Amino acid sequence: MTEVKTEVRSLDDPNIWVDTPATIYDAIPPYPPRTEREAEFYHLRDGEMLLNLGPQHPSTHGVLRVVLKIDGERVVDLDPVLGYLHRGVEKLCEVGDWHIAISQCDPLEYVASLFSEAMPVMAAEKLLDLQVPKRAQYIRTLVWELNRIASHGLFIGWLALDLGGLTPLLYGFIERDEIVEMLASLTGQRMLFNYLRIGGVNRDLNHDFLSRLGDWMSRAAVELEQETRLLNENEIFIRRTKGMGVMTPEMALRMRVTGPNLRAAGIPYDIRRAHPYAAYPDMEFDIPTRAEGDSYARYMLRVDEIRESIKIIDQCLHEMPDGPIMARIPRLIRIPPGRAFVAVESPRGEYACYAMSDGSDQPFRLRISDPSFWNLQSVGELVPGNLIADTMAVMASLDPVMGGVDK
Amino acid sequence: MKRRLEQVFADQFAAPVRQINDQTEIWVNAKDLPAVMTRLHDDEQFEFEILADLCGVDTGTEMWSVYHLWSPRSPDWLRVIVPSLKRDDPRVPSVTFIWPGAEWPEREAYDMFGIIYEGNRDLRRIYMPPDYTSFPLRKDFLLPDDASRSPGEGVRHVEQTHQPAENMRQPQIRMAPQLGDNQISTLSQLPEETEAPPA
Amino acid sequence: MSVITRPFQRMTLAGKIIVPLLILGAVLTVLLLVAWEIGLIPWLIDIVADVVTSNIDIVRFIIAATAILLFTVPTAFVIIFMELKVIAFLASRIGPNRTGPWGILASTVAGFKVLAKEDYTPTGADAPVFTVAPIVTYLAAVLTLLVIPFAPGLVGYDMNIGLLYFFAVSGLSVVGLMMGGWASFNKYSLLGGLRAAAQIVSYELPLVLAPVGVIMLAGTLSLNGIVEHQSGWFWNWYVFQQPLAFIVFFIAATAEGNRTPFDLTEADSEIVAGFATEYSGMRFGFFFFAEYVGVFVLSALTTVLFFGGWNSPIDPRPILDFFNVSIGQTMNLANLDIWLLWALVIGVPLIIAAATFVIYTFNSSWGIIKSAVVAFILFNVFAISAVAIWAFISFEVVVGLFWFLLKAFTFAFVFVWMRGTLPRVRIDQLMGFAWKWLIEISLLNAFVTAGAILVVQQVTGS
Repeated sequence: MTEVKTEVRSLDDPNIWVDTPATIYDAIPPYPPRTEREAEFYHLRDGEMLLNLGPQHPSTHGVLRVVLKIDGERVVDLDPVLGYLHRGVEKLCEVGDWHIAISQCDPLEYVASLFSEAMPVMAAEKLLDLQVPKRAQYIRTLVWELNRIASHGLFIGWLALDLGGLTPLLYGFIERDEIVEMLASLTGQRMLFNYLRIGGVNRDLNHDFLSRLGDWMSRAAVELEQETRLLNENEIFIRRTKGMGVMTPEMALRMRVTGPNLRAAGIPYDIRRAHPYAAYPDMEFDIPTRAEGDSYARYMLRVDEIRESIKIIDQCLHEMPDGPIMARIPRLIRIPPGRAFVAVESPRGEYACYAMSDGSDQPFRLRISDPSFWNLQSVGELVPGNLIADTMAVMASLDPVMGGVDK
Repeated sequence: MKRRLEQVFADQFAAPVRQINDQTEIWVNAKDLPAVMTRLHDDEQFEFEILADLCGVDTGTEMWSVYHLWSPRSPDWLRVIVPSLKRDDPRVPSVTFIWPGAEWPEREAYDMFGIIYEGNRDLRRIYMPPDYTSFPLRKDFLLPDDASRSPGEGVRHVEQTHQPAENMRQPQIRMAPQLGDNQISTLSQLPEETEAPPA
Repeated sequence: MSVITRPFQRMTLAGKIIVPLLILGAVLTVLLLVAWEIGLIPWLIDIVADVVTSNIDIVRFIIAATAILLFTVPTAFVIIFMELKVIAFLASRIGPNRTGPWGILASTVAGFKVLAKEDYTPTGADAPVFTVAPIVTYLAAVLTLLVIPFAPGLVGYDMNIGLLYFFAVSGLSVVGLMMGGWASFNKYSLLGGLRAAAQIVSYELPLVLAPVGVIMLAGTLSLNGIVEHQSGWFWNWYVFQQPLAFIVFFIAATAEGNRTPFDLTEADSEIVAGFATEYSGMRFGFFFFAEYVGVFVLSALTTVLFFGGWNSPIDPRPILDFFNVSIGQTMNLANLDIWLLWALVIGVPLIIAAATFVIYTFNSSWGIIKSAVVAFILFNVFAISAVAIWAFISFEVVVGLFWFLLKAFTFAFVFVWMRGTLPRVRIDQLMGFAWKWLIEISLLNAFVTAGAILVVQQVTGS
């Protein structure tokens, strides 16, 4: 066995060789433990080792870093390390006015950004006690549901990719691409739409959008069946997901999981019904739930939700009222002082916002509560005891988006 | 709901119950928080089983810790505000004994505001690097500056109360260079001393 | 013409390569003609023939090894291109379409890219082992080709224990993978290497046990012998007598070649790239090549064991007899004189020029250059087709090679198809599948086959 070289070139000056600490090769942090939990986690018993997963890793969905404590292939414990995508959006919202906050919140959930940009908009409307025109409410509902389908389509692909299937990713992208193109003709952007405005929406429905939408709606349900069949009946996929990462209802409530992950555990908590907003009180749709709470249930639940979303889009299009798309409010607006809490049901769960206003044109405090952030921490309960491969499967089935987790 | 809340928690509220739009707002002192939260969660007439949000707030003079709850028994959001925490040593009991999922949001509030949630098993910084010393979302943290050289260094946080384990390497805290005279004038509160890492 | 008149320094990179090659080719042609005319060549040929005949074994081995090494490169490129294109097709994409027509050069260009990349050894790595590991893996894959019979008479070395040699050498690849995984000084590599060891050792058992029935039926371990036992119509192939063995063998071969759904050693969504995580440049290229050569080798072995090797699915002899045709050499190249060379040197440009003129005349929208290029391509297509057809009807080797490659690439396609369709299994499912199912099934198959052979021998009394 050759001797391990421990000298590396200094990053500051390549001519200097410095002695590297073993921490370069190990995930043990170079500072003393800050909490008892950290000390316990980084204390390795016999046969255990740390595996640093990320922030550059093919299947951590961005820049999540997870330190796995493994015993062979079995994960004993894990410690997610966040902050690699932290931009301080809440602070940036406080220094701009309310309109700027919309575009600041846009890239939070970059997969379904119509939900994150709704936060300052709806908070300001609630603080103003503003009645948004009915047509604007319907348009919002319509684009939200479209974006939900786009997001769930991507989820199906991601889950399959983390299980090693290459093709479903592209199938998911086919639907997503069509929806995103459609929304681009409405909003002008494919990814960060910046479409909602305080008091309404930016533009009215146009012909291009409606013709694309009608074209897509005529075959959406059939294509969904076709594209999910590759996974639904796949024995390997079912064996990899059934019974993996089982979340009981009690645990889901305690870990404060929301959205499809909570409904997959059997609790029908959906803000569209629990606390209706926009045009959802007028819509007829079901809240699909599943009792198993495993990865497969979380996958199937999202497929069911796509069907419900198609139903809602259909109703939106049929009952779309005429009228203005913006409430009559001044462009330079001072929001009255107060506190407001709003929440919408995003594809990942409850997207909530707590806003405080001091009467100026800037938010005093704009707290964004991202569902990915809350959902992700349940990996600490779900993963230990499983294999390394299942870490990815369970993490992907929770569907976190790091832009929202790190804010 | 407002009446029921007033009946049950008559003496534990720091301020009268308010109804704002679709939100019921109660103010609870820090020491009463665990009892109130347990009652709200367990009592059959409340059943606030979903913690909708948890965050810290800096009002400029004091710190708040704000909770939002949802219950199938009420159409409204319940907002629980724990007001008047001291800015130099804000301490609140943790709610992780009811919702273990509150661990990360409490870490976030600690990271951003320096609010110490007593009872949280893993209260360390979640977003900012471990050698970071200020709390970015506080009102005295001025944004135009480089974050690592902010004059808004708030509370010296709990990380330094731990004694380093013997087998661990000493922390390599990179100290910010002293601000020069060419710094913009509004940032006159230069840090008095830069503390050396704990021995 | 400006290409020629331009100074060498100002030429493009392609010009710097092509122009010297053209000049060299012209000089060599002239030299060759002169040498032929003064009788130098036959004298040289005599000397070479003497040397070759006195050391025929060594020469044969060198030629076989060189041919096989050279053969692996285009094979790997073809399979990589097939993988790119087939997976693209499965995923409703277009796939590579930039380099070459239909992107057929994509994998070749990728190969050159790998050659040009930086090749580094990470700090803390065990440098000698780290360097040797890809070579071991690659050689293990390549050396197995030595005993594969491509066509009647076209086999690197016809061992009487060919199958045993095959399994012994292909089992060596795991050594390379473990070396790479251990020497990289990276935990992902280590996990990948250990997974490779566990997986390949487990799947070696069903892989060896499944063909036992075939060996008993054929009565030989020589791959050439096994193929000859399957000659005739396609129902003589062993897949119809040993279907269970074929299924077990193919599944085990998928695992042995680290292909999806058993590609746990390089599971990119779990352990980044497994043993190859720290590799870059051509050392990674060797691992990459080894995988695709392995795909071809395993497809070839499946073909040889179960699908009749180079035998065509229909028995050609009755048909040929009916039409009174006999396969064999109809034209001897050695009988052709210097005129063949002259015909190639003078006739070919004349034909191309004539075709150019015709195209230029009848296609007024095309320039002379474009017409010339099209004429050149057309001539090549016709020439290659003519030579191929002539070879196909003249040589048994070519017919055998055609059927062998067709079958082998069909199985390579199946490997690619599976990769595009299936997700990956988990390590415990993988190991459980080998030990709980495949080994038992292959053992059962061997017993049943042995019993059947005994019964048949008793009944027929032989």
